[in-house]
Amino acid sequence: MKFLKPINNKAQLLDQAVTDNQVEEVVAMSSLAGCTATTDPGWEIDAFGSVTSLCQPMESDLYGCADPCWWPAQVPDMMNTYQDWNKDAQNSKDDWRNLGTVFPADKK
Amino acid sequence: MNITKIKPSLAIRLNTALLAIAAGVAPSFVQAADAPLKSGNEYMVVANYPNQINVIDVVTDKLFKTCKVPGAFGPGVMQVAPDNKTAYILSNHYEDIYGINLDTCDVSFHTRFSSDPTVRTKSIFSMAISPDGKEVYAIHNPTKLNTDHYRIQPTQLAVYSSDGGLDAKPIRTFPVPRQITVMTTGADGGLYMAGADIYKFDVHTGKYTTAIASRNWQRPLYAPPDVLNAWPIQTPSKDFTILYTTAKFQDDSYNVDTADWIYGFMNVNLETGKTQTTDFGPITEIYFTGMMSPKDPNIVFGVLNRLAKYDVKEKKLIKAAALDHSYYCIAMNHDGSKIYLGGTFNDVAIYDADSLEKLGNIQLPGGDMAISTSQIFIR
Repeated sequence: MKFLKPINNKAQLLDQAVTDNQVEEVVAMSSLAGCTATTDPGWEIDAFGSVTSLCQPMESDLYGCADPCWWPAQVPDMMNTYQDWNKDAQNSKDDWRNLGTVFPADKK
Repeated sequence: MNITKIKPSLAIRLNTALLAIAAGVAPSFVQAADAPLKSGNEYMVVANYPNQINVIDVVTDKLFKTCKVPGAFGPGVMQVAPDNKTAYILSNHYEDIYGINLDTCDVSFHTRFSSDPTVRTKSIFSMAISPDGKEVYAIHNPTKLNTDHYRIQPTQLAVYSSDGGLDAKPIRTFPVPRQITVMTTGADGGLYMAGADIYKFDVHTGKYTTAIASRNWQRPLYAPPDVLNAWPIQTPSKDFTILYTTAKFQDDSYNVDTADWIYGFMNVNLETGKTQTTDFGPITEIYFTGMMSPKDPNIVFGVLNRLAKYDVKEKKLIKAAALDHSYYCIAMNHDGSKIYLGGTFNDVAIYDADSLEKLGNIQLPGGDMAISTSQIFIR
């Protein structure tokens, strides 16, 4: 964390955890899934630094990534937050134009 | 008009016919939802949007019928029970399991993991059936949803009775390690769980041992493996197979520039309990799932953007077929002659296992299969 400065609440909590020596509770997953903050390559770039091992076409990988909240920064989290994101596009190959951008809802 | 109130069986037939027409599938091939499967015939099941299970006749390579599943899709992980009649599906955004009688499409089992609205409980691909079919296993990953913060609760294995009905509750629970994903049972009733390592869990005592070390493997000059565990495929050869990638260094300088980058698989023979960790070739592309040939355990297949075939002893790519698009999930018929590729979009591709020539596609009614697990079984 030497070169990272926390700028939101979550980052500050992570920073605090490091300060409190709680980092040993955090173990890297050998298999990633479920809204995990990850830099695992595979969406914009593949494991070889290229694009040939990305899913082809990218629509084929949309719900495989959105359903399990695999890359929540790249595609909406359909596991929890935007479960109906594809209600008008259940066939991604044909209906992808019906997919929209999502925004956090205002807290009530 | 709610036709289900008029005549349920008619509604089911209309439903299936409409689905078939909508998908451009000749309705004459597609049976009504309550059409029973033929004993001794080989079938494949795979789920897709909007939350339905497609039953494919693997002999004729035609869609046999489609069963509706209550609730919302996701992830569509399926396990076929030992009776070869009931398919269990992890559903409703990873929060419910349904048991579907494939002969009638009726729901025979249902559990919602959490009955407390302030606790959200998911199972990350973790569902298995006991070898006698009497118990259903799921990992619970609960999160307490407080007003101002969420708090992760301990993970546990929940054991259900398969005759628990439509509001089944766990009959036993045990603490388990975190990060469990796919699971399956061995012939002796032991539950194999893939997590940081692959554990063998005693579902009666809650004790477990490491069946295959994964993150904690001690292979000299090898880097820890990277694995992808989302598809608990029930193979004809009764193997529980998980692919890994790793690096093997030349010497103890651990120089990544000169390391060999390797694909391999971890395997549990579910009949004998014998385990193995075996490299099968260099990494040249990514595979999401792989499977040993039921005809020859020296042949292993992998799939994502290509269907590839390796000679395990020679650690060599024998052949590869270009695909029309990515497919996540591989399945093979029991004599090992045909390969079925599922997941992602809504068509299943069929390949000859020897020549890797394409034999055809089966178009499914409805939308994407996404990350569903396809399973082949003999009724």
